Amino acid sequence: MLRITGGKVYDPANGINGEVRDICIADGKVVANVEGGRTIDANGMIVFPGGVDIHTHVAGAALNFARALTPENQRVAAKFMRTKDTRMGIGGQTPTTFATGYLYAGMGYTTVVEAAVPILSAKHTHEELRDTPIVDKACCLLMGNNELVMDLLEVGEYEKAKHTVAWLISAAKTYGIKAVNPGGVAAWKFGKDAKQIHSPIDGYNKVNPGTIIANLAKIVDELGLPHPMHLHCNNLGVPGNVSTTLETMKLLEGNRAHMAHLQFHAYGGDDWHNMRSESVQLAEYFNAHPNLTCDAGAVLFGNAVTITADGPWQHLLYQLTGRKWGNLDVENETGCGIVPYTYKGSNLVNAVQWAVGLELLLLINDPWRIFLTTDHPNGACFWRYPEIIHLLMHADIRRERVRALPDAALSRIYLADLDREYTLYEIAIITSAGPARALGMKQKGHLGVGADADIAIYNQNPDGELMFRYPRYVIKGGEVAVEEGEIRSVKDGHEFVCQPSYDEKIEDYLKPVFQQQYTMSFENYPVEAERVHGMQIAECSYHKETRTGAPEGDSPRTTPPSGG
Amino acid sequence: MGGKVSCTLGEVKNRADFILYWGGNPAECHPRHFTKYTIMQKGKFLPEGRKGRTMVLVDIRETMSVKAADIFLQVRPGKDFEVITALRALVKGNRVDTALVEETGLKLEQLQDLVDRMKRCKFGVIFFGMGLSMTRGKHMNSAAVLTLAAEMNAFTKFVAMPMRGHGNVAGADMVLRWTTGYPFGVNLCRGFPRFNPGEFSTVDLLVRGDIDAAFVLGADPGATMPQPGIDTLARVPTIVLDPKVTHTSRLARVHITTSVTGISSPGTAYRMDEVPLPLRPVLKSPYPSDEEVVRRIIAAVDKKTAWLPRPETMSSGVA
Repeated sequence: MLRITGGKVYDPANGINGEVRDICIADGKVVANVEGGRTIDANGMIVFPGGVDIHTHVAGAALNFARALTPENQRVAAKFMRTKDTRMGIGGQTPTTFATGYLYAGMGYTTVVEAAVPILSAKHTHEELRDTPIVDKACCLLMGNNELVMDLLEVGEYEKAKHTVAWLISAAKTYGIKAVNPGGVAAWKFGKDAKQIHSPIDGYNKVNPGTIIANLAKIVDELGLPHPMHLHCNNLGVPGNVSTTLETMKLLEGNRAHMAHLQFHAYGGDDWHNMRSESVQLAEYFNAHPNLTCDAGAVLFGNAVTITADGPWQHLLYQLTGRKWGNLDVENETGCGIVPYTYKGSNLVNAVQWAVGLELLLLINDPWRIFLTTDHPNGACFWRYPEIIHLLMHADIRRERVRALPDAALSRIYLADLDREYTLYEIAIITSAGPARALGMKQKGHLGVGADADIAIYNQNPDGELMFRYPRYVIKGGEVAVEEGEIRSVKDGHEFVCQPSYDEKIEDYLKPVFQQQYTMSFENYPVEAERVHGMQIAECSYHKETRTGAPEGDSPRTTPPSGG
Repeated sequence: MGGKVSCTLGEVKNRADFILYWGGNPAECHPRHFTKYTIMQKGKFLPEGRKGRTMVLVDIRETMSVKAADIFLQVRPGKDFEVITALRALVKGNRVDTALVEETGLKLEQLQDLVDRMKRCKFGVIFFGMGLSMTRGKHMNSAAVLTLAAEMNAFTKFVAMPMRGHGNVAGADMVLRWTTGYPFGVNLCRGFPRFNPGEFSTVDLLVRGDIDAAFVLGADPGATMPQPGIDTLARVPTIVLDPKVTHTSRLARVHITTSVTGISSPGTAYRMDEVPLPLRPVLKSPYPSDEEVVRRIIAAVDKKTAWLPRPETMSSGVA
């Protein structure tokens, strides 16, 4: 039992904006009242629901490949000493699993979503998530280039495709699905890409990226998955890609979708020399379409490692940078590419990218629909989020940073003209309440009675970076996990999975196709439930008739989020 | 720079119309490789199977694998790096000195033919074995062949994969990466991971005699290490967990017999393409599994007083 008293509470999902009130905790949940137990005096502090990262890459074959490919990063990264309670590890761009748990919790984040899981190596991802302590986890299954599904769409078998998707999600024990460069990664298997939304994909007559996107969005909604289709659009990172992004968004009208790392999809121009920000155009469309949510995928200057299922893009980046390149195509399902990268303030392209991430966060006016991410470790590491929060809260500091950019960059960006400054209430939305709602996690991202007691308490400080980097207390599942900058309790978190229902006859169809196209036996393909540590099955209860979007920007909700 | 451009074995099965084995003898060392994954399979995009694929073998001598190859290129021992470098030059259309090529035991026309075939294929793959990665040039050879595959992608789809074996070595590599950040050669003596192949690799530690105890799990270094390394294992307390008697267990102070993973105890094994496979026991064993033994050792060690200074004791120590 625990009582937090005297702190200013920011709980946007329940409309609480900085009121001083008590939060009571018993059995890992927020309750109305407790008698006895520890009391935390939070005078002079602010109380947030624990952070929720909707899009990050912290576990799985791709990240583990990146670790092996970049020992030079690990060598200079922060080290984690073994102590009585914690395991040794390494921070940096691609932290080890234990360090990942400590770093997220140490920043006040208590739920993370690993955004890209191939089915073939899902067992591996779950093993890594098991070794990621403290935080709760969920993951998205890579589906935008699954040839079993694409082959069915080619012959117009929508129902079979739907059951296949449901079977695959159940088999891989994931929470939702993600489509990465739909069709492009499949085409990359023969060295091609898919650049046009409406042109057939290499090897197909009918299926184009648009077919995949529209059908998957529909499938996710019909299966009732709590989180909409998570989408990494075609033409990531390419000048002029805003047209692809807008075309894609138009396809999604009538369905929900989460646009991942939107920053990387908001560029104008037609080559690297005239690339410019198109955040205004994109935000305008986005603001008018409440069926969409997105995360920023913001960039910060410094070293990063780009890791994505987008194989063809990574080949291009390898050719552009001349740095090392990792690639791993996964049979019939997806791909993966890795290229270390350094974002430089003196580089025009990087300067535009840096600005676009912040511009989208400032121009999309509903904080319930854009969330703070860096597409870790692609745009920057997750442990640098406080730097972004600081910039969002201070227009003058942003302008100072803009002045340090090359002159040529100034005419290509809008950042210096934007006066908006985030309030603490809005920061609580984009780091916790918003992503929890977009994920359909009713027990996360708020501090109402019945919520999971995941709470971050910060010393109030005008320096947002300092405040959010070092929480005074972090409470996870009702236990004090971090106190005074030290890890105190290292209980393992849960992993949330969905088990959408499917027609069992789909296995009769899948098994022979599978035996023909895969190199593993069908029986070995699904992940056994025992392998998913602390598994909690989430309901697939989304219905299209009910609310799809989010409420208006500043109107606080008085009821806990319904999760759609 | 190169990197590692690879795929899972199913991609090879479904798509690879050009398969190059370099410094390996899969017919004897990976006997199911041809039939399950590479040349003999009918693939999604290769309905003709073997007929639709070209197989090239590069090695220093004729092995059992030659029979399966369409083209065999015999390289002089220790000249692999030179051949790969010449290939990389030819791929880019650079001039290569005939005399330099001939020192490798091959002719320029042979290499040019190979490059033409590589560029013509739709999906090429290079599998390289220890005949390349553990002979003169060692990791430089691996880096060169990986770079060749990476650079080929400017022309067509190309990948490369090491022919790993030795039980679950890929699995050990994967677990070390996510727990320590490094794939092998990790030193934890300072309480955090450090990596330096050549200094902290098992063979180097053993040969230098830098260790005062050894715990051997799923390996038989007594059969493969250089003699000074084996001498170190015999000198220090060595503990072996193994289902059977091995060279190492014979010189060990303690040998704990364990059940065979995959036959009598469950687990996970990683294929050479880093795809995890579940292992399910089919028989009962009177012996405990490796995991159970290790867990019991950890529990016993936990009861001992910690030797590692803890933060609270460290400050007083400094003062």
